[in-house]
Amino acid sequence: MSSHTGQPTLPGGEPLDVNDPRLSRFDIVREGARRDDIEIVHYEPQVAPGTKAERRLVRTVAGFFLLTGLAATAFLAVYIWWPWEYEPGRGGDKLYTPLLGVTLGVALLAVGFGILTWGKKLLPKEVSIQDRHVGAPSSEDQRLTSETMAYMADELGVKRRPLLGVSLLAGLAPVAAVAAAPLVGGLISDPHKDNQLMTTGFTPRDGQKIRLVREDGRPIRPADISAGGQITVFPGVEHGVSNQYADSPTLLIHLREEDAVESRRNNERAGHDGYMWGNYAAYSKVCTHAGCPASLYEQQTNRLLCPCHQSQFLITDNAKPIFGPASRRLPQLPIEVDAEGYFVAKSDYTEAVGPDFWERP
Amino acid sequence: MTSDNDRRRGLLARLRGRPGAPGRGRRRLGAAVRLVAALMLAGGAYTVLAPGAAAQENPPLSSAAADGKALFDVSCVSCHGRNAQGVEGRGPSLIGVGAASVEFQVGSGRMPMARQEAQAARKPVVFTRDEIDQLAAYVQELGGGPVVPAGDNLHADGNVAIGGELYRINCSQCHAFSGGGGALSSGKYAPSLRPATDRQIYAAMLSGPQNMPVFGDNQITPEQKADIIAYIQQTLKDDGDPGGLFNLGRYGPSTEGVAIFLVGIVALVFASLWIAGKS
Amino acid sequence: MKRRKFDVAAVPGNAARAVDDRFGVATPLRRLLNKVFPDHWSFLLGEIALFSFVVLLLTGVFLTFFYEPAMTEVIYNGSYAPLRGTPMSAAYASTLDISFDVRGGLIMRQMHHWAALLFMAAIVVHMLRVFFTGAFRKPRETNWIIGSLLFWVGFLAGFTGYSLPDDGLSGTGLRIASAIMLSIPVIGSWVTAAVFNGEFPGTIIISRFFIAHVLLIPGLLIALISVHLGLVFTQKHTQWPGPGRTNGNVVGERMFPRYAIKQGGFFMVVFGVIALMGGLFQINPVWLFGPYEAWVVSAASQPDWYVMFLDGSTRLMPDWEITIPIGEGYVIPPLFWPTVVLPGILVAISLFYPFMEARHLKDYRSHNLLQRPRDVPFRTGLGVMAVTFYVILTLSGANDVIADKFQISLNAMTWAGRIGLLLLPPLAYYVTYRICLGLQQHDREVLAHGVETGIIRRLPDGRFVEVHQPLSAGNGHGELDYAGWVVPKKMNRLGALGPAIRGFFYPIERPVEAPVSPGHPPVEPRPEREEVTSGETRP
Repeated sequence: MSSHTGQPTLPGGEPLDVNDPRLSRFDIVREGARRDDIEIVHYEPQVAPGTKAERRLVRTVAGFFLLTGLAATAFLAVYIWWPWEYEPGRGGDKLYTPLLGVTLGVALLAVGFGILTWGKKLLPKEVSIQDRHVGAPSSEDQRLTSETMAYMADELGVKRRPLLGVSLLAGLAPVAAVAAAPLVGGLISDPHKDNQLMTTGFTPRDGQKIRLVREDGRPIRPADISAGGQITVFPGVEHGVSNQYADSPTLLIHLREEDAVESRRNNERAGHDGYMWGNYAAYSKVCTHAGCPASLYEQQTNRLLCPCHQSQFLITDNAKPIFGPASRRLPQLPIEVDAEGYFVAKSDYTEAVGPDFWERP
Repeated sequence: MTSDNDRRRGLLARLRGRPGAPGRGRRRLGAAVRLVAALMLAGGAYTVLAPGAAAQENPPLSSAAADGKALFDVSCVSCHGRNAQGVEGRGPSLIGVGAASVEFQVGSGRMPMARQEAQAARKPVVFTRDEIDQLAAYVQELGGGPVVPAGDNLHADGNVAIGGELYRINCSQCHAFSGGGGALSSGKYAPSLRPATDRQIYAAMLSGPQNMPVFGDNQITPEQKADIIAYIQQTLKDDGDPGGLFNLGRYGPSTEGVAIFLVGIVALVFASLWIAGKS
Repeated sequence: MKRRKFDVAAVPGNAARAVDDRFGVATPLRRLLNKVFPDHWSFLLGEIALFSFVVLLLTGVFLTFFYEPAMTEVIYNGSYAPLRGTPMSAAYASTLDISFDVRGGLIMRQMHHWAALLFMAAIVVHMLRVFFTGAFRKPRETNWIIGSLLFWVGFLAGFTGYSLPDDGLSGTGLRIASAIMLSIPVIGSWVTAAVFNGEFPGTIIISRFFIAHVLLIPGLLIALISVHLGLVFTQKHTQWPGPGRTNGNVVGERMFPRYAIKQGGFFMVVFGVIALMGGLFQINPVWLFGPYEAWVVSAASQPDWYVMFLDGSTRLMPDWEITIPIGEGYVIPPLFWPTVVLPGILVAISLFYPFMEARHLKDYRSHNLLQRPRDVPFRTGLGVMAVTFYVILTLSGANDVIADKFQISLNAMTWAGRIGLLLLPPLAYYVTYRICLGLQQHDREVLAHGVETGIIRRLPDGRFVEVHQPLSAGNGHGELDYAGWVVPKKMNRLGALGPAIRGFFYPIERPVEAPVSPGHPPVEPRPEREEVTSGETRP
């Protein structure tokens, strides 16, 4: 960098003596710029001092700044006195945030445009040319630096004493591993622990079949769902209706008679004999594609649409994917009705619920 | 409210037709009245479950229903057929769909349909309120079915917090968190809830119009329905948007993305044009 | 004792001297003050990103005072009645508190979100400017790489931030993110379990995302931005070709005072626009979404716009599942390709494009002059092709909203996206290429034959010809070489037909007042056309 200081390559002649008392401040500025290889080739005030144009611009800029003050004060007034606490209905609080935004925005925009007008219109225009020194310092400097580094490497003598280098590497490698170990070791968690990828909350506990319950925990009777209706059900276990059992939400659908017949026939074909109870079928609500709740049930077409990526499943054909990116059927939950007349899961899902993964059998 | 009385009469007539019911009713009239009230609230869940039984009935029509039949024969018969038994490929049977269905379909202008399409759309209503009531009475007396309770404000004592929770479990997947509706497969869609009245929302839940699943009174009780309607009407519609004057249609990130380019980037590019410009 | 007179005017000078005696800053400071920047509107696009990042830091710090990054279940009991009594995570409850119980918290949240969208949008727009003008060429490949990384790191910052409220919408996004990790062959389930500490959603992901969002990622962003700006300083800004401008100089304004003042003003403008948007446009109304519950979803679930292209690619992907019949059988789900492989390819292409192009053109020289997009048709074509690809994916990410609001079948939208993704980008390349060639040719024609004057002259043999005003002094043809910069194509750009009326951005043409006598093209170019200008759009 220092190689070119004080030697302006642009026209300008000898460096000036900056202590010369005859020089104006601008002369010194221009000389300073020259020493940084900048030639100010054009410098022109945009407005003459004392003219009408200048006064007008000054007034404009001042107006902007005063507007800022006004808007900022308005912001404070709104912030302090405007009713801001939430009230139902179209209360005055609904204007709180817009008013804050408008006052703050106007304040900032006004100060911004004030500064911009000042800089753009009141300051002199200039055109300066700075030398880039493309390729100029290159070869010699590069050679000096590379020789210096090579010299330093030679002094260390790693080439002559290879054992030093090898042993240093051998020593440092485990240190790097030491740095990584706690992070990896701390984060790692066995995804197959308790077979968590394959089971849901519907796994029978102590030989007891799990009930299907609503979001408020009440069990469900067949009569609760009208034909052409559906309901989201959860495993009737502790915390069953919570994100702890994010894989368990299930859609219980009451099919119309003719759809149920077809559905049963397709069930039998797929080896899901007896998964339905009456005209009721239960399918996992968790999409096999990306895990969103696939729950847009069209009761006439019997399609189930996932709102995230538009996979469509045909409920009457074992929830076969018929459109979109999903490649796998929604798992079906085998259900029946227990002695008290409530729905229970005969067993857990017989395949993995949720999005696909590598080792899914 | 003659139409409501008619409906009640229709329901009573149906109940009398059921074996066993009259005997108990005669012994304890009060209990019967309560039962009728309960069944009214419970709407047509039962009849939806067992429409076959109701379809057998063929009682004489009340005067309102007779007027309704006259209207039906003029405006509906071409698609739904004589006696509303349906025409293959044109319109479904209306036996057992109940007054709720009429109230939703005709009350929101969806019926009569302008042309056959993937889904009937909300249009300006063709019939007057009285005519709709007469049509409803007719369809109700044809084969029973779910009935919307009386009154225009069905969410008076609804709890928006409970309603919101139910809305998110049962409704938002199709009608969106904002109630703005959404697309279904192959050109079908869940409509926006903004123009819907209390009665229409109630009727839609009871009757499951088009591809909407049925939410009978056993699944979502009348109180819960009031909660949901309260959430839709009070929170989603009346509450306004505390976050700004423009809610960008509440479409979520898609319109927000459009806004940042059309408003933010455009404004700032203009600003930079001005800053770097010479004038 | 006589009081010494205190010379106020000497204070700055003395102070400066005192500082320089100790730290020796005078020379480097002067060099910094004396830095020439070329002035062009398109050079300000990167600043929008920089300034919105500053706003992000300011508003973000505010939000951390009130946000609680915990997934412990609480019963909400704040001001917002429609959620009172609802069980939810502490993170979501504190987000509601910021929106309804912290005075002015809602506008801070909204400004933060708008600033994030603006940050990403400005990065993309800036990146397009750099790409189409060839500003990424040697010696600036490093800065291009850093810029691309800024996009991808910003992407992560955005996604982690979007997830923090733990609302119904962002939780769905998180669920998809877990499915994406799960789809990676061989290690997928291990990666997911490591990130979520077990099965989705677990109880720790929000705190992990929080520390990533407020510490790790911003730290990385600040480091990258610093290097990015540092490189712009040391390498000096590129400039458009023009009179007096060469590969070896920079023509423009010194950084101080005018340039810096304009930057300061522009910061305020960016801040002001964000404040206006934060106040006027409601963004991410989490109170409507409810807490995240694995069984709750909304129609039209979308990520923020810069992630939407991934959502789109996922929606368009056909259901191609690859099963590997070894042992019990292994699966590569269709989700893997559009969400892991595609972004991987995009990252690689975006990072290494400068080297690929240099290799292709065998051009290893340093370039400090920009190129007009028309002058490099293949690059412009590639750029438009990439933009088309990206836009189709982004639109497909919102295809359900489009289908619903414009009453198109959803399935038709998906198919249109699939076919469009294959057909439109090559078409865009071809069309752009032809347009570039056409524009080039027109430039050359004007240089060779002059500007159309609009004056029709009848020749003695009865033919009509239009009179052209040659650009060069002589009457010859093809005397001017193309200099890589705007060729004047209208008479008043030559200074003819009277002065142009000053418009807001560009001069507006004034209609000709007096008919010009035919056969006598009226003009000499005005002398000031030859002057060195500061690089604004008008030559």
